Amino acid sequence: MRLTTVWYFLAEGWHSARRNVSLISLGTIAASLFVLGAVGLILMNLNHISQLLQARIEIRAFLEDDLSPEGVAAIRAQIQATDGVAQVTFVSKDEGLRRLRGQLGEHAGILDVVGENPLPDAFDVRVEDPDCTAQVAARISRIPGVLSVNYGRGFTEKLLATMRLVGVAGAAVAVLFVAAVVFIVGNTIRLTVISRAREIEVMKLVGATDWFIRWPFLVEGMVVGLVGAAVSGLLLFAGYKVTVRYITGLAPFIPVITAPEPVAALCITLLIMGVLMGAVAGGVFVKRYLRV
Amino acid sequence: MMMLIRLYNVSKVYPNGAVGLLNVDTYIRQGEFVFLVGPSGAGKTTFMNLLTRQVLPTQGQVIVDGRNVVRMRPSEVPYLRRAVRMIFQDYKLLPNKTAYENVAFALRVTEANPRQIRARVMESLELVGLAWKARAYPGELSGGEQQRVSIARAIVGDPTILLADEPTGNLDLDTSWGIMELLLRINKRGTTVIMATHNRSIVNGMMRRVIELDGGKIVRDDERGAYRREADHGMVLPG
Ligand SMILES: Nc1ncnc2c1ncn2[C@@H]1O[C@H](COP(=O)(O)OP(=O)(O)OP(=O)(O)O)[C@@H](O)[C@H]1O
Ligand SMILES: [Mg+2]
Repeated sequence: MRLTTVWYFLAEGWHSARRNVSLISLGTIAASLFVLGAVGLILMNLNHISQLLQARIEIRAFLEDDLSPEGVAAIRAQIQATDGVAQVTFVSKDEGLRRLRGQLGEHAGILDVVGENPLPDAFDVRVEDPDCTAQVAARISRIPGVLSVNYGRGFTEKLLATMRLVGVAGAAVAVLFVAAVVFIVGNTIRLTVISRAREIEVMKLVGATDWFIRWPFLVEGMVVGLVGAAVSGLLLFAGYKVTVRYITGLAPFIPVITAPEPVAALCITLLIMGVLMGAVAGGVFVKRYLRV
Repeated sequence: MMMLIRLYNVSKVYPNGAVGLLNVDTYIRQGEFVFLVGPSGAGKTTFMNLLTRQVLPTQGQVIVDGRNVVRMRPSEVPYLRRAVRMIFQDYKLLPNKTAYENVAFALRVTEANPRQIRARVMESLELVGLAWKARAYPGELSGGEQQRVSIARAIVGDPTILLADEPTGNLDLDTSWGIMELLLRINKRGTTVIMATHNRSIVNGMMRRVIELDGGKIVRDDERGAYRREADHGMVLPG
């Protein structure tokens, strides 16, 4: 295709978009893409949080009672030598009880009923790769003198299940809104095509191929998608900043994404998606109404 | 001489029952200049529309430059219409484009080179005497001016065949003769010209082949004919 022809299509599409696109449809497109981006941001943050939490997962290896200090040291050395272990910390039974009291909070009274400290001595083990937690735990449990091994299996699985659920729901919402955007752009262009049916007929009579007629509509779709995405991207970027400030003020322990780069990347993805959806709508919908 | 256009027993009956053309069997040679005459509703426009596949015949075959127009694939139609240009009776200009852009459009669809487009469009507008209105939109032009833009668009690409449907319908006598001169010049350059007209003095003044239609049928085909059979050479008949 010649460069002049490309310029011609761009100019035609741009002018047509300016003539035909209403603020309402542009607003609806921007709103849809905004929701799409918001879903993306929520997913990104959940992923971020889960990764941070996974990194904190520790294995606790409880030791048999009545081990000599030498025996404890030997077990420590063996754990340290196990594949996949990053760091080992000793937690004495008294230290363990103190932590347990802290976790139980107002229910700590129950420990006084038990009387004697029921906890054995233990090692807290941090692993190199959270995904290998189960294997490392199994290896440690085979070391003589280790009574039992505990790691946050239930929690990890719950977290992953939640992530999956949010992912599926997010994808469903995303599909819905992608469809909405394609439909709105398509409808805008359908109206253009109908209002210009006579013009299109003339173009065909003067020897224009279907593609020559379709390209400007494709460009028009891309322009609409791009403008809609740019508006929603700006709102999303600004809105996210405000939200993050709000959350970190309210609940600073929630590790939300604060770096601008991933958010900017999402906005750019949104832009590309807007253009692509516009092109699809412009290209596919027009074909159905081009019969002269 | 080569048969550029051939119609084999062609009929066109519109869906509403109106007869456009009835059992027409004829040919047109390469390089000819042919007048198509006949009363309003005789089938002149239908004849031309069949050659560019704006309508399909209900019967018969239409061959243009070796290609069967009836059996042609839809994707070939644009190329047919670039070789067979038409000056439309109702101009058919694009309302949102300037005179210049309307003429240029006929070249843009062929993806011609941009410098060539500029030169040829201006040349073409000059030939119809409208270069000074290049930036005007059709809505800002008189009927005759729009007609001349339509003429400029049809001739800009040096077509194989030029179908001129009443090209002087809205023009005064002087401008009409100017346009005739232009069509003759294009014909001399090798373009086959078919011109539908009600203009008696032009037909009589040119002494070219005349095909007369009436009720969709060819009722006369004279090599060096007049607007009316014999009449115009001698006495004047009413009508
Ligand atoms: N699209 C159409 N639908 C139905 N009937 C049509 C259509 N086009 C033309 N006709 C009919 O076909 C017949 C021939 O029309 P055509 O336009 O070919 O005549 P013409 O010779 O060009 O007339 P004029 O000199 O007025 O331009 C007329 O009876 C007309 O009513
Ligand atoms: Mg006519």
